Amino acid sequence: MTHAYRSTRHALRTGTALAGAAALAALLLATPVSAAESHGAAMAREAAAHLAAGKEDDPTVVKAPEPNARRVYVYDAKHFAAISQQFIIDGDSARVIGMADGGFMANPVVASDGSFFALANTVFSRIARGQRTDYVEVLDPRTTDPIADIALPDAPRFLVGTYPWMTALTPNNKTMLFYQFSPNPAVGVVDIAGKKFDRLITVPDCYHIFPANDQSFFMHCRDGSLAKVTMGADGKDEVKKTEIFHKESDHLINHPAYSPKNGRLVWPTYTGKLFQIDLSSGDAKFLPTVEALTDEERKDGWAPGGWQQVAYHRATDRIYLLVDQRAPSRHKAPSRFALVIDAKTGKRIKKIELGHEIDSLGVSQDATPQLYALSTGARTLFIFDPETGMETGKVDQLGAGPQVITTADM
Amino acid sequence: MRSILFAAVLAALPLAAAHAGEAVEVVTGATASAADVKIAKMKFQTPEVKIKVGETVTWTNTEPLPHNVHFKAGGPVEKDVEGPMLRANQTYSLKFNAPGTYNYICTPHPFMTGKVIVE
Ligand SMILES: [Cu+2]
Repeated sequence: MTHAYRSTRHALRTGTALAGAAALAALLLATPVSAAESHGAAMAREAAAHLAAGKEDDPTVVKAPEPNARRVYVYDAKHFAAISQQFIIDGDSARVIGMADGGFMANPVVASDGSFFALANTVFSRIARGQRTDYVEVLDPRTTDPIADIALPDAPRFLVGTYPWMTALTPNNKTMLFYQFSPNPAVGVVDIAGKKFDRLITVPDCYHIFPANDQSFFMHCRDGSLAKVTMGADGKDEVKKTEIFHKESDHLINHPAYSPKNGRLVWPTYTGKLFQIDLSSGDAKFLPTVEALTDEERKDGWAPGGWQQVAYHRATDRIYLLVDQRAPSRHKAPSRFALVIDAKTGKRIKKIELGHEIDSLGVSQDATPQLYALSTGARTLFIFDPETGMETGKVDQLGAGPQVITTADM
Repeated sequence: MRSILFAAVLAALPLAAAHAGEAVEVVTGATASAADVKIAKMKFQTPEVKIKVGETVTWTNTEPLPHNVHFKAGGPVEKDVEGPMLRANQTYSLKFNAPGTYNYICTPHPFMTGKVIVE
């Protein structure tokens, strides 16, 4: 598999290498596009000047710029296709600056310092059948070259519509944790630094993985509690459950927002009740719940909906939530509005009309963040200034069914 | 499709004979069970049953949500024994030919667990 993969990559590189020198210079700079001149027009002008000056083309393999807080990863599972794609986007210039191939229903993660990104992957020897191989691929964020290829024994990955917190990095970026559903709930430990699979930790009937620190992570259990799993030296792992923090009728969505840097877990229900849990101490502290929507709004059919329905900005302590008027059981349909909520008081700061059918929200973690709104149907990432609520840019043609936004809290 | 095919095969073949000699064999037709396990509310209602070697356990799903019993390879079972999905009021019987503890799950609901202790 590795060889086949490498040759594909080689072919892609050859394609990239056809880019001319002038185009290359423009790509490398990834400068913001002025309103007056599109990126394409700027490249054409530069290439023409290059040619007029009598300079030769010098094709080479380009590198993406150094990662920054506005680097956005958009994962396209392609509606359950056997091969998927990760688009690497510069939020400032609203341009694609790289791509990486993934297998079936990959789980993307990005190192918190931007130093690498990785995909927990599944491939088969005959495209979608034959021998199954699960592996973790760690990639360089500038070249997209593989840094590590770590095999996962006995095909342990949970194949499911991409939930970001089914795979997570510890805060030191040295360990990847991934979820196994069948034949029993377990969490796989991958030593990213040592480039090897470590072990499977058997866990109770719990889901998702939220690392509180480098040694422990939390999960959400069927009975409505959290489980704290402490990874001990030489495989002596401990599991301890918290109190039950929500009723059976509170349906918590599959895409909570989690900020590993301050341990904040923001977990909406189908009706827009927001559970917040502070994991920063290494123990779960349940904060007061907040209603994102008023009784009146709920009566009028307002409810959260989409894929990644919630985003959390750590520095400003703000929650962004996708909402719209919808029929019951339409919780996966896109939304046209984003609520901006003060996480501390629960007060609504703003309601942004997005102007598009949006499935997923993300936010950059710099001081004046960009709000990312991804439309799976339009295959477009729309970029907003959440302060003004204005759309400031967009990136289209993002594969077949892009669903997942990942940013690094650098 | 696969489970329909499996069910068809079950009906057509005297599987009990085919599996004779193995730790677990599928029993078809009317049978006397030493233990009956009802499946309801996402649970095996008797999660632990004790029987003697050569006795049979029968599972009955009592709800519309399909369930099965699935013994993973390991312990007394050499190869995976993955029972067909049972719809409401369907049953499945297994005869246990060797002593030991047989742990099982429901394939799509791995949090549903049970065990058969054969003495
Ligand atoms: Cu079941």
